Amino acid sequence: MRPLRLPDVGPFRADFWRSPIRGPWLASVLSAALLPLIAICAVTGFVSHWAYEPHLGGNAVFGGSEPGNGFDVYGLDWPTSPAWLYAATQGLHVITGVAAIPILLAKLWTVIPKLFENPPVLSAAHGLERLSLVLLVGGSLFVFSTGVINIQVWYPFGFSFVPAHYYGAIVMLAALCLHVGLKLPVMRAAFRQRGVTRPLGEDLRHTEPEPGLPGVVTSAPYAPAAPTLTRRALMGGVGAASAGLALMTAGQVVGGPLADLAVLAPRGRGRGDGPNEFPINKTFAATNIPREKVGPDWRLLLHVGDERRAVLTREELLAMDQVTADLPIACVEGWSTTQSWTGVRLAELGRLAGVPDPRGVEVRSMQPRGGLRSVTLNRGQVTHPEGMLALRVNGADLSLDHGYPARVIVPALPGVHCTKWVGKMVFA
Amino acid sequence: MRWFRDHYGAGPIHLLAVLVSFAIAAYALSRALDLTGNPDRIVVWLGGSIVAHDLILFPLYALLGVLAAGAILRGGHRSRLRIAALNHLRVPALLSGLLLLVWFPLVAGKGERSFMRVSGLSKDVYFERWLLITAVLFAGSALLFAVRLRRLAR
Repeated sequence: MRPLRLPDVGPFRADFWRSPIRGPWLASVLSAALLPLIAICAVTGFVSHWAYEPHLGGNAVFGGSEPGNGFDVYGLDWPTSPAWLYAATQGLHVITGVAAIPILLAKLWTVIPKLFENPPVLSAAHGLERLSLVLLVGGSLFVFSTGVINIQVWYPFGFSFVPAHYYGAIVMLAALCLHVGLKLPVMRAAFRQRGVTRPLGEDLRHTEPEPGLPGVVTSAPYAPAAPTLTRRALMGGVGAASAGLALMTAGQVVGGPLADLAVLAPRGRGRGDGPNEFPINKTFAATNIPREKVGPDWRLLLHVGDERRAVLTREELLAMDQVTADLPIACVEGWSTTQSWTGVRLAELGRLAGVPDPRGVEVRSMQPRGGLRSVTLNRGQVTHPEGMLALRVNGADLSLDHGYPARVIVPALPGVHCTKWVGKMVFA
Repeated sequence: MRWFRDHYGAGPIHLLAVLVSFAIAAYALSRALDLTGNPDRIVVWLGGSIVAHDLILFPLYALLGVLAAGAILRGGHRSRLRIAALNHLRVPALLSGLLLLVWFPLVAGKGERSFMRVSGLSKDVYFERWLLITAVLFAGSALLFAVRLRRLAR
């Protein structure tokens, strides 16, 4: 059966695509840069799902707590050490994701002639491969666009972000694994033909069009124009854009002098001086907690199951043994901030409730609604010597926006699990 | 085997790999559609992102590039000077466009209300910052071009 040919018009004409620097070598070298970033981004993404410990209590953001809710490391507790673990993994997730965008766009620019290849389908195998590319390109654009929009706190999706981003990534990765497997021989052939880095040494006069590869439809031009840009300049520009975006995003993870570079990052901004002037991820005003519930009448309730074991005022908590520790708050959106927290050890509260060796604790916020207002901590977290119900930060009382009267702070705990405006703790 | 290759266009391992990949993708897609209130919005976003890139963003910037090249290299004037002028124009333009694309919700102040409720901050600084970065990119590129001018003219 002869493959069906579309009319040779517009982009379907082989001589429509003129850039002399497109071709399998350029596609390969961009892929080689893109792949490690996507790998780190994917692994840290799954790590974040694990850090939420969806099998505990009401921690699952989607799909309930039973196994089968994604690809999980069930039964393995998220560690408490090192304290910066979640700040690092989630920082890497967002930095690598943002840094991959210019490389992904350059890669799509390189191979776009193949979208219009003619005849469009050469065989069943070729047709299936192209169908898989719809999943790869669509999945990538879906995952990157939802992620980068979400970290800028804009929710135009109309669907729940977390499951869509999570399972969208699996669609992308399934197509990507196939793509890498099928294209590895092309990459090897392109590097053997042109050298891995040799084309980067050519100046404009020596920038020749890629000849393409025998027996493969490639993005190499059929009727190349004269060059106006070297491959070195293209890769330099893409690299600079990627590095610039990475630095901008890193500023909101690492802080210090890098924070000044985070000019376009959503959380790179200083909030002025003062003990409570560091980034917030939910203001008190947004919670709808009535003001009187966080006043002098506030009480902390300690429970075991339905049974009330202790009721404490803030003064009583402040009179107990205090622990102070420098610990980060690390947000799933990829920013983090390390502050000096002071409060009562969670294990101490467990003892007060009559549970000297707790297996875990469910912490409930006074927020009347919203996701994750009740969070369950694992045994390692509740018994850690620096796992605390914080009352003060940097030597001052917590501000309302940071969770006054009391909030949870535990080493390496994802920020959204560091429950603010705590009203009740149920020990197990 | 020969028959398979002739009719399918590749070996059986190829077909097996494609089917495994499709099965995983189909499972993940069905989970995503199950777990959200508006599954049609996911489909729209998935298809829309392909259309937005392949049929809007790419043609748009490619066309701008072709127009710029047409204006600067008009009539086949392909001196080093003119090529450099083109590059000193399109590199800052691409970088500025990339920043706008990546940080669009900040620069355009999208989601201002939720940002305020979450962070207690406004998005109103970002448009100016992006403009400033754009100005610095173009000015830096022009300065570099001026420095290179004499060498290029030779």
